[in-house]
Amino acid sequence: MSTFVEKLRQYSKPGYYDEFDYHWTMTIDLDRCTGCEACVVACQAENNLPIVGEERFAQSREIKWIRIERYWEGEYPNIKMGFIPMLCQHCDDAPCETACPVYATYHNQDGLNTQIYNRCIGTRTCAVYCPYEVRYFNWFTYTWDEPLEQQLNPDVSVREKGVMEKCTFCIQRIRIAKDNAKDDDRRRVRDGEVVPACVQSCPTEAMLFGNSKDPEAKVSKMMKNTRGYTVLEELNTTPSIVYLKKVHA
Amino acid sequence: MFDHGQPSYAEVNKDILSTMLETGPKYWMLLGMTMSVAGICFFMPWIYQLFVGVGAAGMNHNAVWGSYLSNFIFWIGLSHSGTLLSAVLHITNSPWRKSIYRSAEAMTLFSLMTATLFVMVHLGRVWFVHWSFPIPNQMGLWPNFRSPLMFDVMAITTYLTASSIFIYMGSVPDFAAVRDASTGLRRRLYTIFSFGWRGTAREWHTLGWAYTFFAVFVIPLAVSVHSIVSWDFALSAVPGFHHTIFAPYFVCGAIYSGTAGIVTVMYCLRKFLGFERYIGQVHLDSLGKLLITLSLIWSYINILELFTTWFGGTSFELEALSFRLTGFYAPLYWEMLIFCAFVPLLMLFKKIRWSWNKMLLISILINIGMLTERFIIVATSQPRKFLPDSFGYYVPSWIEISISVGSFAIFVTLFLIFIKWVPAISIYEVKETLKPLRRNV
Amino acid sequence: MSKISRRDLLQYIGAGGIGVAGGVLYGEGVQRKVELLIPQVIPPEDYSPGVATWYNTVCNQCSAGCGISVRIREGKAKKIEGNPVHPVSRGRLCARGQAGLNVLYNPDRIRTPLQSADRGSENTAEISWDDALTTIGSRIGRLKIEGNAGRIRLLTGRTRGHLDELFAQFMNLLGSEHYQQYDFTYPSALAAANKTSFGTDVLPYYDIENADFLLSFGADYLGTWLSPVHYSLAYGNLRQGRQGQRGKTVQIEPRMSLSGAAADEWIAARPGTEGLFALGIAHVLVSSGSYTGNDRDEWSSALQAYSPSMVSAETEVSEDTIVRIAEEFGASTASLAIAGGATAAGTNAVASVVAVNALNHLAGNLGKPGGVILNSAQAFPAAAGSSPAGLQGALDLVAAMQAGDVEVLLVHDTNPVFSLPHNVGFRQAMENVPLIVALSSFHDETTAMADFILPTNTYLESWGDDVPDPGVGFPVTSLSQPVVAPLYDTLPVGDIILSLARQIGGELPIHMPWASMEEFIKDRWREEYDERMSEGQDQNFEAFWQAVLEAGVWGQPGAAAGGQPESSSSPTIAAIADPVSKFAGDETDYPFVLHPYLTATFLDGRGANLPWLQELPDPMTSVVYGSWAELNPVTADELGIEEGDVLEIESPAGSIRVPAFIFPAIRPGVVAVPIGQGHTSYGRYASDRGINPIHIVATLMDKQSGDLAWAATRVKVTNTGERLRIVKTDGVTRTLGRQILGPGNDHG
Repeated sequence: MSTFVEKLRQYSKPGYYDEFDYHWTMTIDLDRCTGCEACVVACQAENNLPIVGEERFAQSREIKWIRIERYWEGEYPNIKMGFIPMLCQHCDDAPCETACPVYATYHNQDGLNTQIYNRCIGTRTCAVYCPYEVRYFNWFTYTWDEPLEQQLNPDVSVREKGVMEKCTFCIQRIRIAKDNAKDDDRRRVRDGEVVPACVQSCPTEAMLFGNSKDPEAKVSKMMKNTRGYTVLEELNTTPSIVYLKKVHA
Repeated sequence: MFDHGQPSYAEVNKDILSTMLETGPKYWMLLGMTMSVAGICFFMPWIYQLFVGVGAAGMNHNAVWGSYLSNFIFWIGLSHSGTLLSAVLHITNSPWRKSIYRSAEAMTLFSLMTATLFVMVHLGRVWFVHWSFPIPNQMGLWPNFRSPLMFDVMAITTYLTASSIFIYMGSVPDFAAVRDASTGLRRRLYTIFSFGWRGTAREWHTLGWAYTFFAVFVIPLAVSVHSIVSWDFALSAVPGFHHTIFAPYFVCGAIYSGTAGIVTVMYCLRKFLGFERYIGQVHLDSLGKLLITLSLIWSYINILELFTTWFGGTSFELEALSFRLTGFYAPLYWEMLIFCAFVPLLMLFKKIRWSWNKMLLISILINIGMLTERFIIVATSQPRKFLPDSFGYYVPSWIEISISVGSFAIFVTLFLIFIKWVPAISIYEVKETLKPLRRNV
Repeated sequence: MSKISRRDLLQYIGAGGIGVAGGVLYGEGVQRKVELLIPQVIPPEDYSPGVATWYNTVCNQCSAGCGISVRIREGKAKKIEGNPVHPVSRGRLCARGQAGLNVLYNPDRIRTPLQSADRGSENTAEISWDDALTTIGSRIGRLKIEGNAGRIRLLTGRTRGHLDELFAQFMNLLGSEHYQQYDFTYPSALAAANKTSFGTDVLPYYDIENADFLLSFGADYLGTWLSPVHYSLAYGNLRQGRQGQRGKTVQIEPRMSLSGAAADEWIAARPGTEGLFALGIAHVLVSSGSYTGNDRDEWSSALQAYSPSMVSAETEVSEDTIVRIAEEFGASTASLAIAGGATAAGTNAVASVVAVNALNHLAGNLGKPGGVILNSAQAFPAAAGSSPAGLQGALDLVAAMQAGDVEVLLVHDTNPVFSLPHNVGFRQAMENVPLIVALSSFHDETTAMADFILPTNTYLESWGDDVPDPGVGFPVTSLSQPVVAPLYDTLPVGDIILSLARQIGGELPIHMPWASMEEFIKDRWREEYDERMSEGQDQNFEAFWQAVLEAGVWGQPGAAAGGQPESSSSPTIAAIADPVSKFAGDETDYPFVLHPYLTATFLDGRGANLPWLQELPDPMTSVVYGSWAELNPVTADELGIEEGDVLEIESPAGSIRVPAFIFPAIRPGVVAVPIGQGHTSYGRYASDRGINPIHIVATLMDKQSGDLAWAATRVKVTNTGERLRIVKTDGVTRTLGRQILGPGNDHG
């Protein structure tokens, strides 16, 4: 009993996560973003997102871990378009994490909001609770027309019907980078060593990814930019994605 | 108390037990029908859905919860009055409770079961549903006790257990009566069911004591169950879900729809089982008054919800509200208001309150309204969340509609089976109300 | 119903049981393919299970020539990323480039040589390579011997590098002059205009990255113009790449493109008057004294007519705007004007582009950082110089085919049946050609007309090299290599040509002795290395070759660019006399201007068979899997049109039916239809989906460049009353006051 209580205390300790080396963070500069959707395809390729077909799109059952949202401002001729890439915000106080009855989604020590497909029973509560609507449900088991399945990334599992999925910050790439660091006897991965597929592909370099616990990391500096903000700040979800707002000249 | 003169003890036994012991072809036809409807409308689509995935239903990325959950809330709500009403009335010692409580409690049990079925139907991977129970396993994995769904699992299982014990305990003397009136296998079975009940004073004393204890225990439980169901919604930040009023709103709505459900069930018992002598105007009148009260409370809470949303004035809540009032599902919203807030006011007239047919109609309308209410909560909030670009819509598929229809067949099937196994009216408590035995009144 | 006896029942059960057991056995034993982790006893090189290998090669999804790195695991291509050392892509890649894997693993690829039983049908029979090459080779050989080699034609898409040289050499050796290219996306007008303005038709490098003020006349440099990946990063750096200095961009186009959405200011001038707009700005630059060149007087008199008030009346852009933009343009230290899109697709395309080029000259930013930097003529390989001939070339070919002057037509990597207006009659003309051979990886509308379809390797299975055009200001040559073994019984297009050469015989195999494209390219590179590249290098060719293979690119970043552009004003002044485009169709009969536009996903339709691109929401509208016609909300209101109403869009050249999409950023009176869909035979993902607006474009052309004036067609729009659901992912595209785009950036 006493060990149990001790363990509980350990878990409830403030700053528990501070003991760990990483807090993965992304910044997205909307002044650079052009809404070209290269990141969307990069994600689809890296993370084995299914090809769902027109009918499923019409039913809003597409799976896009990252999507571009569009917002118009004004009317013709003084009209402007604002793009904002929307992906899992990896909130530190994630509404989805408390929702899952089976701990299929939880916060890991790197500050990632992770989804365990094998544990998911498909209550979809996390998706309801997510204010950013970045959780995608497998309404069906999707298949690939032969030989498209040869492209599937062996580092990422293919999901079956009935499980929830979402952006992982390309956790497989983080894993590989950590393994490499370990092989080289380094405690931490270097800044820039982990690049999620969307960040890698971004033609305008609008996205930046790194460890915000490292004050020297590019991303830590970028976060402090005066243009920085988080989406739906009023909900207190403390996202790990900091957007830099577009400059209106 | 009795519309057609007071029956004798023997008549009570005969009237009530005959419904169990004598089974005509009509019963079998009815049972066959409901079972086939349940099979065709509920289980076959469900099996299909199990094979293809939940995509067989109409839910989508903008509304991942759909009619399965609104049906779930509906059935949980319907479950509410049975045990709760029975317990409250038991404690307050209302004599008119006695002839209706058994069926009301059965209603609780069966609607809870139906509700649980909807959880199963709702789940993406129902074959792993056992993971939501704290079953010790070698992986050391436990459910997440912070999750309102986990509260749900706990609350519903507790409620189901408590309600089962409650109804069973109240039925023990009647099982003994069945045992005594039957022969053969049935007699042997009911010997076991009745735990060898002999009707000694000590047994009566223990039963009364335990029953009262359970009645007291069940009341907060019942209130908590629907509060917890409401937290599934209220604990999220979703506009339209995120209201502190939700717990009392759901509890009130639950009792409301449950009470209306009892009226419907009473009508059927009277009509089809010939219980006119035991279920009379006094019941109808009392339930009618209760319904008016609940309707007013329900309307008040609805007004409050509108007011607080408007007063809060955030873009999120206002958008969700305006979608609810004027959007795609607005006709359903107004239908709900008419059925649940205005139609019940007709019961203020005694003429209506005393008419079985009119009350049946009103009770059914109330439950249609309440079913709609749950659907509106689920279907109009999610598609209007925070990011306008992700606004969408949700229309139930035929699979969902079919399963919803089938669930009523399941409920009726269970009820039909029930009336052949358990006396639908408490024999011994009805006898308590017969005049010669009345003490201290 | 007859009764089933107990005996029957048992039999049924037995039969059923055997059936199930058989099915299970079949499923377990027969159907399951034997898959081994390592497919050979001796595993191939660079092949260790679980370890990814990256190969650098060149993207072929558009003509930009981005360097790419392909991730290979267990012999399968898994992901394409930009090659970080390649100066064009700089490690980045667009959606289209990344979808290259869908080309490689496309289920609709042609897997063996096919012979068509009758043209235009799907009725084809498999045939062996030997048979196919013998038949075709003997036919060509006979023509050669008969001295009718001129009746052999080779039509390809945009081809650069040594493949271009191989094609040219093959046709030369045959004795035919008719090797030509057709590519809808090739900016012929731009090349012709640059010839006029700068004296070289090599496309220059536009240094967007270092510009302070970018004025784009219809050029969607972020989506489809020249080298979108390169310019995207340049745009990012223009905005936020320099401390404390944010470049400004202005876009002038009738329908907001990606670049228009990114711009600080988007101006929808009257279609066809963009060149005039540029002249108006030029007028202000000269008259305000901002331009101080020697030839100021000449300019002044040439631009005399284009006063802001006159330009304002024609372009329907306010005078203030013209003057303000001109002043900003003149005042910025590095201002850059570029032209493309509809501006370069009117009947006066070259004149318009020359007018825009004049702005660069007047602002004095030629050859300077943030300005126009000329590329040297192709450094290497020297032969890579053919350019697509535009509409004029296609018309010549059609005329020849109609006249019966074409006996053999070889088609590779181009789809003129799809990407030419119906009026050109390419498909009908093809019927006059006795033998059509398509060298293609996919069935499309053009291969459907072929007698023989020779399946080619995709670019990810082929050797090749490429000189990016436009270059990046210094000499660059990329090398492409196969990253996976060919999936099917296909051959690289170069190998097919070489085989044909051997088949035909004569002097061909003597001058083209190579066994394969790989050998040919390596041979050429060796020559070049010995001649020029080896300077200052102390490694042998093999080491050099290996290094280039690894890097995927060879370049000389320090080498001089193409020199200072000529600053002579006379050719420019002569060329700008025609600043307004003409339109096909009368304004009263055809009140709308048709604005077909290239999409960043499908380009001219070649990307439509890639499922990832079909599933990619259109950047501006979020529509997937279909065509739509964009209308201004006000116009739509007037006509009572709502989203999803099927419109009949009729031009003098034909009509299409397409659902309407209400698009807030399009000029009233313009109807924009994306190019790319509307295929009839292009695999399962593209066929019978949407419409192709190119088909109703009138065959007007820009006289100077011979290019199709695809933005110069008027149409009328009628609501058919039918409805068609537009599949899109967007819900509400207004922020409703929510601060999603940042505090203070809440778009109302």
